[in-house]
Amino acid sequence: MHMLTLITFIPVLGALIILAWPKDKDDAVRVIGLLTAFISFALSVALFFLFDRKDPTMQFKEFASWIPSMGINYALGVDGLSYPLVLLTTFMSLISLIGSLGIKVRVKEYFFWFLILEAGMIGVFAALDLVLFYVFWELTLVPMYFLIGIWGGPKKEFAAIKFFLYTLTGSVFMLLGILAVYFQSNPHTFDILTLMKAHAGWSERFQILVFIAFYLGLAVKIPAFPFHTWLPLAHVEAPTAVSVILAAVLLKMGVYGLMRFCYGMLPLGFAWFLPILIVIAVINIVYGALCAMAQTDMKKMVAYSSVNHMGYCLLGIAGATVTGFSGAVFQMITHGIITGALFLLVGVIYDRAHTRDISAFGGLALKIPLYSALMFLTCFASLGLPGLAGFVGEFLCFLGAFQMWKWHSAVAVLGILATAAFFLRMMEKVFMGPLNTKWSDLEDLTARELWSIVPLAVLTVALGVYPKPALDLMNTTLVSMVGLLK
Amino acid sequence: MTLAHYLTVSALLFLIGIFGALTRRNIIGILMSIELMFNAANINLVAFNHFLHPGSVAGQAFVLFTITIAAAEVVVGLALVLAIYRNTDTTYVEEFNLLKG
Amino acid sequence: MLDYAFLIPLIPLAASLIILLGGKEDPHSPLPYVGVAAMAWCLVQSLFIFWDVATATAPLLPAPDWTWFSFGATAAGKPYIYDMPLNVLIDGPAALMLVVVTLVSLLVQVYSLAYMHGDARFKRYFAFLSFFTASMLGLVVSNNLFVTFACWELVGVSSYLLIGFWFEKQGPPYAAKKAFMTTKLGDCGLYLALLMVFIQVGSFQFTQIREFVALGYMPPLIATVIGLGILFGAAGKSAQFPLFIWLPDAMEGPTPVSALIHAATMVAAGVYLVGRMYFLFAVSPTAMEFVAWAGAITAFMAATMAMVSYDIKRVLAFSTVSQLGFMMCALGAYGYTAGLFHLTTHAFFKALLFLGAGSVIHAVHTNDMRQMGGLSKKMPVTFVTMFIASLSIGGFPLLSGWWSKEMILEKVFEHDPRLFYVLTASALMTAFYMFRMIFLTFTGNDRDHEKHHHAHESPLMMTAPLVLLAFLSVFTGWLLHRHDLIGRLLPFELAEHAGHHFPHWLGYAVTGLACGSMVLSWFFYGGDLSAVTALKEKLLPLFNLLERRYFLDEFFLWLVDLCDRAAKLAFWFDAHVIDQVFIDGWGLVMKIFAELSNLFDALFVDKTVDGFGGLTMDVGVGLRSLVTNGQIQEYLMYIAVAVSLFATLILSR
Repeated sequence: MHMLTLITFIPVLGALIILAWPKDKDDAVRVIGLLTAFISFALSVALFFLFDRKDPTMQFKEFASWIPSMGINYALGVDGLSYPLVLLTTFMSLISLIGSLGIKVRVKEYFFWFLILEAGMIGVFAALDLVLFYVFWELTLVPMYFLIGIWGGPKKEFAAIKFFLYTLTGSVFMLLGILAVYFQSNPHTFDILTLMKAHAGWSERFQILVFIAFYLGLAVKIPAFPFHTWLPLAHVEAPTAVSVILAAVLLKMGVYGLMRFCYGMLPLGFAWFLPILIVIAVINIVYGALCAMAQTDMKKMVAYSSVNHMGYCLLGIAGATVTGFSGAVFQMITHGIITGALFLLVGVIYDRAHTRDISAFGGLALKIPLYSALMFLTCFASLGLPGLAGFVGEFLCFLGAFQMWKWHSAVAVLGILATAAFFLRMMEKVFMGPLNTKWSDLEDLTARELWSIVPLAVLTVALGVYPKPALDLMNTTLVSMVGLLK
Repeated sequence: MTLAHYLTVSALLFLIGIFGALTRRNIIGILMSIELMFNAANINLVAFNHFLHPGSVAGQAFVLFTITIAAAEVVVGLALVLAIYRNTDTTYVEEFNLLKG
Repeated sequence: MLDYAFLIPLIPLAASLIILLGGKEDPHSPLPYVGVAAMAWCLVQSLFIFWDVATATAPLLPAPDWTWFSFGATAAGKPYIYDMPLNVLIDGPAALMLVVVTLVSLLVQVYSLAYMHGDARFKRYFAFLSFFTASMLGLVVSNNLFVTFACWELVGVSSYLLIGFWFEKQGPPYAAKKAFMTTKLGDCGLYLALLMVFIQVGSFQFTQIREFVALGYMPPLIATVIGLGILFGAAGKSAQFPLFIWLPDAMEGPTPVSALIHAATMVAAGVYLVGRMYFLFAVSPTAMEFVAWAGAITAFMAATMAMVSYDIKRVLAFSTVSQLGFMMCALGAYGYTAGLFHLTTHAFFKALLFLGAGSVIHAVHTNDMRQMGGLSKKMPVTFVTMFIASLSIGGFPLLSGWWSKEMILEKVFEHDPRLFYVLTASALMTAFYMFRMIFLTFTGNDRDHEKHHHAHESPLMMTAPLVLLAFLSVFTGWLLHRHDLIGRLLPFELAEHAGHHFPHWLGYAVTGLACGSMVLSWFFYGGDLSAVTALKEKLLPLFNLLERRYFLDEFFLWLVDLCDRAAKLAFWFDAHVIDQVFIDGWGLVMKIFAELSNLFDALFVDKTVDGFGGLTMDVGVGLRSLVTNGQIQEYLMYIAVAVSLFATLILSR
C-alpha cells in the first residue's frame, strides 16, 4: 500500500481530471474537487488507525530512485511530528474546498490550483528527501500566487507578487542550505534521515551558517518577526478559503521545517540561535498581539493574531524541551483549526455586509445568533480558553520555554492578555450593544457555510476537552527527538 | 628513390597547377591546371602508401576514386563551360566579374 | 457517595448542555428545571460528602484517576511522558465549599426562576448558570492545580457571559469585558505561578506539591515567587487591591448572578485557591505578608467607597470586596481557619443581601437608593431578611458574621496589631454602611412616590430562598463553631508563635463599637439626610475621591489607553518601518540594482557584442577594398598566399 503516495497524488490526479473537463461544467468540477480532497482526507484518517504511536521512527516509508546520478530519491514517510500535520492538511483542504463552493468565476482553474496546492503541502510534510521537499515547497508557491492573484481582493496582484517574491527570496537561501549539507555530507546525500545522523561531524561554524540559510527560508513562512509583513497583506487580499489554507497549513510548513531541519539536522546551529529565537518568539507574541489590537479590519486582525499565535510555537521550540515541542506541534494543529474557522467566519460576514470594519457593526448577536455563537466560541478558543483547543498547546509552549527562559516567558504572558483584549473588544463592538439598524436584514449562516464551519467548531471543542488522542500521536517521536542539545 | 623525391615532384606539379589556375585566362586552361593538382595529390597518396604502409592498398584505392571523380568533375566542368560559352560567347574569366562588390 | 464525587461538577455540566442545546429558546421554557434538579442532586451529594469529611480525619482522594492528556516532559535530563491526571481531592475546605456552592447555587436558581421569568433568553441564562456552577465545582474538587486553573478560567468566562447577559444594552458588554480583562490580568500571575510550580515540582497535583513542600525541597525564594503569582491571580478573581475595579461594574449583570458569582462563589475562588496552596505560602513569610497587606488595604479601601455609594448593588459589591479583603488578610496573618470560616459565613449573608437587593430592584425597577425609602412596609420579608443579613455582616453578636469576624480579628491581632487596626476600622465602616443601605432603602419617607406606589413583595419563589438564607446567616457561624467543627474541618497545621496576645476585652470592644456604628448610621440616614448633606459640604474632596473610587479606574483606563497607543505605534511601525522601509525598501534596492544591471548590460555587455559584430563588418569592408575586379582568381590567389603563409608558419615551428 503506497498510502502516502496516494494521499499526496490523488489531489494531483483530481487536478488533472479537472483540467481535462469541459470548461462550463462548474458543478462537475466542484464535485471532482471535493471528492478527491475527501478521498485524500479519508486515506489520511485511515493512517490515524494504522499509525503506531509507540514507534518514534518514520512510518509508511516509501522509496524509489528518482535521479540516481545525484542521489536524489523519491522518499516519503511520516512520524509523530509530520503525521498530525498531514492530517491537518488534508482536513483543512477539504474544509477550504467546501468553503470555496461559493466561488463563481473561473471555477475550473480555481479548483485545479487548489488541488495542486494541497498536493504540494502534503508533500512538504511527507518528503524524506531534501530535493523532493524543496520541490514540494516551491510547488505550493505557484498555486498560491494564482489563487491570490486571480480570486483576491482589490490589491490582489500586488499582494500575490509580494507574497511570491518574499517567500521565494527566503526559499533561495534554503536551497543554498540544502546544497551545503549535500556537499558536506559524506557520501553526498539528500536523504533527510541520513543527514539527521550526520551532523555529529559538522563543525559549529558550518552548522551556524547553514542554520541561518535554512532559517531565512523558514522564517518567512512561519512568519517570524521581522519577516511577517507579507502575511497581513496576503490574508486581506486572498479569498476566504485561501486565507484559511494559508493560515492553517502554509505557516506550519515553516515551523515544521524549523523542527525537522534546523533542530534535527543542525543542533549546534540551533543551540547558537536559541537566545535570538526566544526574543523573536516574544516579539511575535507581544508585538503581533499589539498590532492586532490596532486593527479595524477584522481579517487583518485575525491575520496579526496568526503572527501572535505562531509566536507561541516559536516560544515552545525555543525552550528546546520536549514539552515545548509538544506544545508547538499541538499549537500548530489547533491554530490551524481555530484560525481556519475564524477566517471562514470573517469571510461569511464580508460576503453579507461587504465590509469587515469592526466599528461598522454592533449588536449582531441579536440578529444572527448562530453565527455569533460560533464566533464567540472560536474567539475564545483563539484567546486560549480552557476546554477549547487553544489552551493546552499554548500552555505547553509556555511550560516548555519557561524552564530556560523565565523572564522572556513572563513578558510573553502579557501577549495572552493582549490577545484577549483585541478579541474581546472585537466581540463587544461587533456582536454586543444595541443592534446597528443598518444590518437589520442580515441573514444567519447557510447550510454550506455551516458544513465548513461546524466541523471546525466541533474539533475545537473536542481537542480542548480531550486533547489526549492528538498529543499521543506525537509524544513518542518528540521524546525521541530531544536530547540532541547538550 | 626516397619518399622525398616523390613528394618534391608532387609539390612541383601542385605548384604548376596552382600557378596555372591563378594565371590562365581561359576556363579550359584552369580546368586542366586543376587536373594537375589532382594528380599531385594522387602521387602523394601512392607515395605515402608505398613507403609508409607497404602492405596495404588504401592509397591506390583512393587514387582510383580521385581519378574517377576528377573525370566526373571535368565532365560537369566542361558542361558548365559550354553553358557559359553559349550565354556569353566567351571563355575568358576576366569577363566574369559578377562578384565585384 | 464520596467515590462518586467526580460527578458533582459533571452533572451541572451535563445539565448546562441539555439546557443549551435542547429545545427552542422560549421565555417560559421548562428546561431550567433540569438545572435546578441537577443542583439539588449535587447539594444532596455534597451534604453526604460533607458529613463523611466532618467525621473523618484525613483528606480523601476518591478514585478515579483519569488522564486528561499526556505530554513529553523532562526530569533530570531524561525525557518522559507526563500524564496530566484528572482526579478529586476532598478535604475540609473542599467539602465546605461544595456545600456552600451547591446550596447557594440551588437557591439562586430557584430565585432566578421567578426573577428571570419571561426574559427573552430565559433558557440560555440557566444554561450559563449551570455551566458556571459546573466550573466552580470543578475548581473546588480538583486535585490538580492545572485543572483548577482551567476551571478558574471557565468560571471567568461564565462570569463574562452572565455579566454581559443583557448584551443589547450599552453597559453590560463593557462591564463584562472589563471584568474579564481585569481578572485575566491577574491570571497572568497565576499562569506564571503554574509554570513555576511545574518546573520546580514536576507535578500539578496538590497532594504531590504539598509533599514536595513538606519535605523541604521548595526554596523559599521560589515559594515567594509562586505565592505572589497566585496572590496576583487571586487578586484578580477575588477583587483585591488593585484589581477590584471590575467588581462594582460587574453589577450590570442580572442580580441573581451577582449574588451567586460576584458575592458568594466565584469571587471566593481566589481566597479558596490561596487556602488550597496554603502549605506553600507557609514556606514564604514574605508572600504571607503580601497576602495580609493586600487584604487589609482592600478591606479598608472598599469599605470607604461603600460609604458613599448610592447604588444598592454597588454598595454590596464594595462590601463584598471589603469582606474578601478580610478573608485574604486573615489568610496572610496565619488565620487559615478564620479566613475560610469567614468565606463560608459571608457566602450566605452576602448572597442573601444580593438576592434581597434583587427583590427590591425587581419591585422598584431602579438601583438608586435615593429613589427608594420606606419600603419596609411594602416588602416585609425582604426587609427582615436583609436586616438580619446586615446585622450578621455588621458583626452583631452571635450571628454568623460575628463568629468569623471575631476570629479573624483575633488572629490578625496576634500576627500584627497594625493589620488589626486597619481591619477594625473597616469592620466599623462595614456596620455603618450596611445599615446606611438598610435605612436608605427601607425606612424613612418614600422619596419617589411613583416607584414606592408600585412596589410590592416578591413572589414566594423569590422570598423562600431569602428566608432560608436568613436562617443560614444566623446559625451557620454558631453551628460551625460548635464543638470546633470548623477547626477540625480546616485544621491549621502551621505553628506560628503568637507574637501578641489578643485580650478578650478588645473583642468585646470591637463588637460594641460595631453596634455603635450601626446606631450612628441611624443618626445620619435614619430620618432626613440633612446631616449627610452638611457633612458632604465640608468633606467634599474626600467624598469626591471615594465616589471616583480613588481614581483607580482612571489609572486603569490610562493603562488601557497606553496599551492602545502602544498598539497604534506598533502597527504604525509595522506598516511603515518594517514593511515600507525594510521590506519594500529591500524591493526598492533590488529594483535599483536591477536598473543598474540593465545599464551595465546595455552599456558594456551589449556594446561588446555589438562591437564584435561591428569590428567584423569593418574588417570585411576593409578587406573588400583590396579586391578590385571581383575575379575568382584574385580571391584564390589570396587564399593560396594565405595558406602558404600559414603552412610556412606551421612548418617552420
